[in-house]
Amino acid sequence: MSKLTLAVPSKGRLMEQTTELFAQAGLNVRKIGHARGYRGEIEGLPNVDVAYVSSSEIAAALKSGSVHLGITGEDLVCETMSDSETRVTFLQKLGFGFADVVVAVPACWIDVASVGDLEDIAQSFRRAHGRWPRAATKYMNLTRRFFAAKGFGDYRIVESLGATEGTPAAGTAEFIVDITTTGETLRANGLRILDDGVILKSQANLVASNVAAWTPQLLAVREALTRRLKR
Amino acid sequence: MPAETVKQFDALERQAQALMAVFTKAGHEAVAPAVIQPADVFLDAVGEALRARTYVFTDPDGAELCLRPDLTVPTCRLHIARNGDPARQAKYCYNGSAFRFQPQGADETHPREFRQAGIERFGETSREAAEAATIALIISALETAGLTDWSLRLGDLGLFRALLTAAGLPPRWQKRLSTAFWRQDALRTELKRLSTQPAERAKRLPGELLKVLGGEDTDAAEAGVAAYLDKRGIEVVGTRSIFEMTEHMREMALDAREKPLEAATARLIETYVAISGPALTAGAKISALLAGTKSGTGAALDVYDRRLALLANAGIDLGRVTFSAEFGRNLEYYTGLVFEVITPTLGAASPVAGGGRYDNLMRAAGARVDVPAVGAAIHTERLLQAVSGGRS
Repeated sequence: MSKLTLAVPSKGRLMEQTTELFAQAGLNVRKIGHARGYRGEIEGLPNVDVAYVSSSEIAAALKSGSVHLGITGEDLVCETMSDSETRVTFLQKLGFGFADVVVAVPACWIDVASVGDLEDIAQSFRRAHGRWPRAATKYMNLTRRFFAAKGFGDYRIVESLGATEGTPAAGTAEFIVDITTTGETLRANGLRILDDGVILKSQANLVASNVAAWTPQLLAVREALTRRLKR
Repeated sequence: MPAETVKQFDALERQAQALMAVFTKAGHEAVAPAVIQPADVFLDAVGEALRARTYVFTDPDGAELCLRPDLTVPTCRLHIARNGDPARQAKYCYNGSAFRFQPQGADETHPREFRQAGIERFGETSREAAEAATIALIISALETAGLTDWSLRLGDLGLFRALLTAAGLPPRWQKRLSTAFWRQDALRTELKRLSTQPAERAKRLPGELLKVLGGEDTDAAEAGVAAYLDKRGIEVVGTRSIFEMTEHMREMALDAREKPLEAATARLIETYVAISGPALTAGAKISALLAGTKSGTGAALDVYDRRLALLANAGIDLGRVTFSAEFGRNLEYYTGLVFEVITPTLGAASPVAGGGRYDNLMRAAGARVDVPAVGAAIHTERLLQAVSGGRS
């Protein structure tokens, strides 16, 4: 029979925590061949192929169905696909990789506490500056969907791939959408989360691709694997 | 029905040529604006929501471009590029492809690529005449292409603003309600807030600032805000100035001093938004509504009546025309008249043509002055389907 492909993070804290999670379930995940290689296996589960992939690519692989299962953050899954409900199934929250995707504005904006207030100031901001207020983010899709659901469209996204929290002070954006765990970095940069500005409370998830090639045998393997992890 | 076979393409082209002949005969100059457009203009006019339904991409130089989601903005840009004075009168027509991203996947009724044949009139100050001429020309083109069974649906965003003025609302509230008009729930929420607790927003302001914010002295208010931030060690971060924050908070503080919106006025607004039906009857209903306001029937209703008279003069059977007060929501280009042409075979969800007035768009497209503009486009694939009896 063909094998089930499980994509796991290829580096950093997320990789360590994933290995730990499997170890707690009595499963030994290990690399095959060279230590810097990208293929692996789970001892005792011969029908599972492990692929070490960078976190953001795991979401893309689940979307296209090139892997059956993956361990990645909800934030990346939702950012990567606009139809996550149909493309994937969240099987299990894993209890690590916590991160909130939030809207944060300069703390000095004492007149702005909610998205509704942002909408309120957008017109006059445009009159004063000749452009809509800008949101710096790497979560372009999440940002757009979140504001669209609240009926707010009078802003512009500027893509930011790093040091997003510094953009308001640098004058390249007015507010940001970014991940935070403790809020410490936001505070250090003079920013504050809006009252209704939590877009997503994310953590690492075991996610199944709904568009991968599933067979009854592979579904049985998936069932066995999730049962082990839930114990 | 994308024209992916030569036969389909020929049929569409023949039809488009017939439509263009009607347009050029009426004095519209045929133009062919570029397919790839700078995304900026569209994003400025529509806002970030545009990205959700447009193919926006970055070229190798890092410039943000898009596949045109319509031909109206491209025609505005072309007009500006040609004219030192964009307020100069001009009439254009076009036939070409437009592109929309379909989040639920593209299909026959939601194509990602479709063709439009349309007209634009720029710079005319006799507004209702230009509007009626636009509608009449579109109808005439549709009929030339063989469409016999159609109805015309009208809306007017200017009428809503006129109603707010007639009702004697403070300009601040008129502005807020006009913005809220775009969404039904937002309008309801805002009306409720203004009629029950206009002071609510001010409650969030720091109590110690309320007095100075609500006063006449704007310099003192700004100084008060600066001192407040200073005392708390809150650093001023970003491009938005203390002056701008102060102005916004002054609006909130002034709201708190306003008497709540009268229940009768809120009801008047809600009644207006619910008006929908034959254009002639709707006119009578609006007239009755306006008669009950503080300033009585205003110029807005004259506009409504004049437009209908002009349409009748142009040979449009008013029995086929309906009016819906809330029509125009979610069409953020438009500033006044909006209309669409509906056929029984395709239904209200797939109009064969639509258009209206967009007096702010020329400025967003780069003009330094506002230019009166009205235009409309025919969805040619739908039209072909409608005239060939609904077969695709």
